[in-house]
Amino acid sequence: MSDTVPRHTGGHAITTPGDDFHERTASAVADPILQRALHNLDRRLRTANESAAAHPEWKDRAAAIRRETLLDLDGWLDRLEHSLVARGVHVHRASTPADARRTIVELAQARGARTVVKSKSMATEEIDLGNALEDAGLTSVETDLGEYIVQLAGERPSHMITPAIHKTLPQIRDVLAREAGTDLAVDREALTAWARDRLRGEFLRADIGITGVNFAAADTGTLVLVTNEGNGRFCTTLPRVHVAVMPVEKVIPRLADVGILLPLLTTHATGQALSNYVTMISGPRRAGETDGPDELHVVFLDNRRRTLLGTRYEEMLACIRCGACLNVCPVYRNVSGHAYDSVYSGPMGKVLTPLLSGGTEGADLPYGSTLCHACSDACPVKIPLGDMILALRADVPDPQSGARRRRRIFWAVWARAWSTPRGYKLTTALARMSHGRVPGLRAWTSTRELPRPARESFRDRWAKEHV
Amino acid sequence: MIDALVAGLRANSCSVWGPMSDEVARGKVVERVSAHLLVACNDDVPIPGIVDALRERGVDVLTPGDPAWTERLADAEVGITGSRLAVAEPSTIALAAAPGAPRATSLVPPVHICVVSVDALVPTLADAMMGIAAGEMPSALTWIGGPSRTGDLEMITTLGVHGPRAVEIVLLG
Repeated sequence: MSDTVPRHTGGHAITTPGDDFHERTASAVADPILQRALHNLDRRLRTANESAAAHPEWKDRAAAIRRETLLDLDGWLDRLEHSLVARGVHVHRASTPADARRTIVELAQARGARTVVKSKSMATEEIDLGNALEDAGLTSVETDLGEYIVQLAGERPSHMITPAIHKTLPQIRDVLAREAGTDLAVDREALTAWARDRLRGEFLRADIGITGVNFAAADTGTLVLVTNEGNGRFCTTLPRVHVAVMPVEKVIPRLADVGILLPLLTTHATGQALSNYVTMISGPRRAGETDGPDELHVVFLDNRRRTLLGTRYEEMLACIRCGACLNVCPVYRNVSGHAYDSVYSGPMGKVLTPLLSGGTEGADLPYGSTLCHACSDACPVKIPLGDMILALRADVPDPQSGARRRRRIFWAVWARAWSTPRGYKLTTALARMSHGRVPGLRAWTSTRELPRPARESFRDRWAKEHV
Repeated sequence: MIDALVAGLRANSCSVWGPMSDEVARGKVVERVSAHLLVACNDDVPIPGIVDALRERGVDVLTPGDPAWTERLADAEVGITGSRLAVAEPSTIALAAAPGAPRATSLVPPVHICVVSVDALVPTLADAMMGIAAGEMPSALTWIGGPSRTGDLEMITTLGVHGPRAVEIVLLG
């Protein structure tokens, strides 16, 4: 392992330069290689749209299941814990990311673990677990191919389903070749084969497998994991200990509910009728079984989620992390995830980031939106993302208050002026002289054109012809 | 229902044989793997006498009862498993972990052959889940719809990332 390559840069990884969301979006749009990589999203969007449209009734049923869960989230969590414990699973409740990190690091240290293999999980990104493990002297290896590439590059995922979406194949070759210490061909098969060999060794060596959870059924105490590569299966098959990090809203009332939720998730995420692997785990290895972990731990992660219950943002907890809102978003499609400088990007990230941080992170994200509501229409569990983005502009302290106060004053003056005939006449005369340049609105007009006023106003023509 | 399963699996890069009788299936599987040196075979494969038939053809068969199972599995070229539940739409096959039916047989070798009876077929995932939730859950129930794949390299599908590159389904019935 090269010393010069940061294994994890977690919360500090910014690959799109800029101090705020506006600057970073401008840098992203001006990056020709990123723009070429993002063309690949069009294909994903088409296939996902086609397969998602096949069963419109699933959305209603899924939305109902998710809202039923939120009505009594604590009750379902208690039932889940009870079912898990009955199966011999250890349940840990973590109210903050620091609690979750400490629980997992201590658990690893107590077992003398040295190597941890991780399956792609947004929850572990949220708590920056990879860095915490490395800081504690463990080796933490991401095993999803895209996430592995991003880890080796010292970056963070730019898409929750396809973490290396911002990279072209030659860039990926460069990252893997640096790790391999030899030249590798710019060839999908060759690069995949190299990563397979390398990561197979990590799976065999690992003491602990860490995964997220897609759904957790309260009635049977079953964890449901969705993967395509099989890395999630390795993480839950070979290491002696399996730790699953589960944000509290992943609980569902009944295992039977996944009959609807699973196909809905995969059609919206990748356009697949079902992912190639779905793993349903109900406890550790049992007597007489040849493989599977001896110990299974589940960490319930709250991180302010339960404070959203009963607020106008409660429905955000219905999110199943499919990425459909990212794929349709006109902003995301042009800038991709790094411009958001947060773990969660796209429309759901604009909502979740300020909420999970109590407004200290991503406060400018709700402003970088066209408010087209394409995200609300795409959401398979009918979260009104567009409405929430708008509401957050009022509820989260405004980080760019100077520029926005100027804009607010402008509109206030405008409203006052156009309320009287004299004011209207004066301002339209001024507008005709200004040729679309309005002082104080430069940030606004740099990316938008004001309509050019007619050479002669209707009032003047009326006065000329009728009076 | 069988047609939907076969079509769905083939569309997802699986090979599908049958439906065929136990005898024909035994001959097909032996024929298919006879060129391989080491084949791992779970105890729950629903073709009577399959292990003996393979050994008669000179194939080295590794079974879960073998004390060296874990070490030798890494060298197996093919993993053969049974299954007692399949879903037509979306097309997928369930493998339950149990003594004699390890999880890794369908994961570690580069080729996975799964033998399942058409009697195990239900129309939808929702139907399957209703049935499963009513009974006792295995420690791990793995649903397999096709070979290991990724879309992480410029969003173009590449097969055989971590798990098997080839999945072959033998239908009995």
